[in-house]
Amino acid sequence: MALARADSLTYRYPGAARPALAGVSLELHPGELVCLLGPSGSGKSTLLRALAGLVPHFHGGAFAGRVEVAGRDTRRARPSDLVGAVASVFQDPEDQVVFAGVRNEVEFGLENVGVAPAEIGPRALQALGVMGAGHLAGRRTHELSAGELQRVCVAAALALRPRLLLLDEPTSQLDPEAAETLLERATRLGSAVVISEQRPALPLERCDRVVFMDGGRIELDAPRDAALAWLAAEHPTFLAHEPAHVGRNLEGDTLVRVGSAAYAYGDRVVPVPDVELVRGEVIALTGPNGVGKTTLAKLAAGLLEPASGRVERNGRAAYLSQDPGRYVVEDRVLDEVALGVGGDRDRARCALARVGLAGFDDRHPRDLSSGERERLALASVLVTEPDVLVLDEPTRGMDPERKLELAALLAREAPRRATLVVTHDLTFAADVADRIESAAPAKEAVLA
Amino acid sequence: MSPVPAVVLLAGLAAAALLAERTVSVALIAAVLLAACLQAPRRRRWPYLVGTLASGAFLLLFSPLAARYGGVVYWSGPEVPVVGRLDVTSEEVAEALYQALRLVAVGLAFAAYALLVDQDRVLLAAGRLRRSVLAIALATRLLPTLERDASGYVEALRGRGVTVEGLRGRARLLSPLVAGSLERSLNLAESMEARGFGRPGRTRAPQPAWETLDRLAVVGAVAIVVAGVLWL
Repeated sequence: MALARADSLTYRYPGAARPALAGVSLELHPGELVCLLGPSGSGKSTLLRALAGLVPHFHGGAFAGRVEVAGRDTRRARPSDLVGAVASVFQDPEDQVVFAGVRNEVEFGLENVGVAPAEIGPRALQALGVMGAGHLAGRRTHELSAGELQRVCVAAALALRPRLLLLDEPTSQLDPEAAETLLERATRLGSAVVISEQRPALPLERCDRVVFMDGGRIELDAPRDAALAWLAAEHPTFLAHEPAHVGRNLEGDTLVRVGSAAYAYGDRVVPVPDVELVRGEVIALTGPNGVGKTTLAKLAAGLLEPASGRVERNGRAAYLSQDPGRYVVEDRVLDEVALGVGGDRDRARCALARVGLAGFDDRHPRDLSSGERERLALASVLVTEPDVLVLDEPTRGMDPERKLELAALLAREAPRRATLVVTHDLTFAADVADRIESAAPAKEAVLA
Repeated sequence: MSPVPAVVLLAGLAAAALLAERTVSVALIAAVLLAACLQAPRRRRWPYLVGTLASGAFLLLFSPLAARYGGVVYWSGPEVPVVGRLDVTSEEVAEALYQALRLVAVGLAFAAYALLVDQDRVLLAAGRLRRSVLAIALATRLLPTLERDASGYVEALRGRGVTVEGLRGRARLLSPLVAGSLERSLNLAESMEARGFGRPGRTRAPQPAWETLDRLAVVGAVAIVVAGVLWL
């Protein structure tokens, strides 16, 4: 018997021109792992929200068809009534944290569903342990790295012991090893799991079934092997592939050289990896969470100054932040991009065209989809024509086809500058880089 | 000290500052609260202290100009349409100092709550008032969140060669900060709903029992309020 079922589900967000979901029918069975794939804006997150009852209860809009979860019709049962049967983890961990303490955060859901007081603490600690986050129980949530916070959010969902676990890009900020651990542990408890991912290699290795969405419709719902064959024919970018870019050994001007450097966050000194950036070359920097990759990126871009060691920079640097939400200062897309070049709108239009946003001039940046916001952020940085371009996790939330487009754009523009890409996405790193540097954990120090 | 007695004590000090009639008593309470706030890390405490002290200074400087009483004139200024003649009397200065100290004391009590109290535990202890306390706890966290967001915007702007300088430069960030916090509040509300907030039959994780210091703090809070009414 199905644990959850969507039947001819059509849904349109309030004020939207077209439906986010159009005639979606789907069954989910106990214990199965379903990999939900599709381009950005294809309706994956909306489908997960419908299965949690948040669509339509929280978002409003026009809802047709029927969704049943654990035998309850979501039109009648509120999302809070479904908690226990369903648990969700959303894309951005920072926006779903209620409490300042990690343990309180995990206990929150257990209290809401009325778990016996004596069981609340042990269940919270057990869930944190399962996610390899037991050591974080006494920490403050705002002190955690994005990867640690993502593990806490999954633990908060697992603590509820749901029959259906809905994960929306749960590994977007995790290094590959941590992502594998998260997936392995999240699926160990026997819940049915639906995982939406833009780094699909790992879930595709483990899943039982693949659902592929496009334009709000399900294009494919098939067992893993059949789905892999279909993806190879129809959407090969979603599968592991030969690198799109052949690495070159370049000997141009050295624009940035970082050697034996460390940065002090208060009294905590973080050593950063050595790196040398040469004009014309694209370097990808990978490595586990917390090894100082972002710190290195900011040092290379001149946003931070080292506490010790050597950082040499020649030429103008630009830095693309991990968070595209930081590129929404102005009210018009064109003005946002022109901000970096003293209001030069011609250059801004040109930069928008380079990232595929021609014609978006008068749109408000906040009205763009997440993928479009990523490209707006990129245009805002590219427009400055830097000698050194530093991109910090530029593919977060980006679908595989967009990633290939970004890799091609960076490769096309590579001769103009030195490019450093910090990423957890090894497929993207192989597609974009002439050279991949892997940062290893180094020991932190404390200032006396 | 447990957070609930700490909140009761801070509320007692704020109430005593409002009830006390002598300026020196209010000044003493404000000094105690300022000393408490100075225990917080420097990076976190400065927005609260600057905001509170600047508000008090504003009241102290400008309310004597608007008031029109007292006999000993310290300064007589020009005639201003609608307001009349600007002057400052000794009585107006004394009253302005008293009111400014009351404002500062209440502001510092809030700052001490935001900076030093574990709001999670206040929330968890709130019982039937949980919804209201949650709203207050989330609102209290707004300022540090805005501070982090503002740093993020400034860094992203610097990353594309735009420097943010002066009041005008920072004022430009106000609109994206407000819009960003509205977006975040929607995401947070959705997350809370998805985790069963508001469902009937809620339970509470056991909380640590009060110690002697906690009981003393509550008794002290009551005593301060009574003293504020009777003697201060």
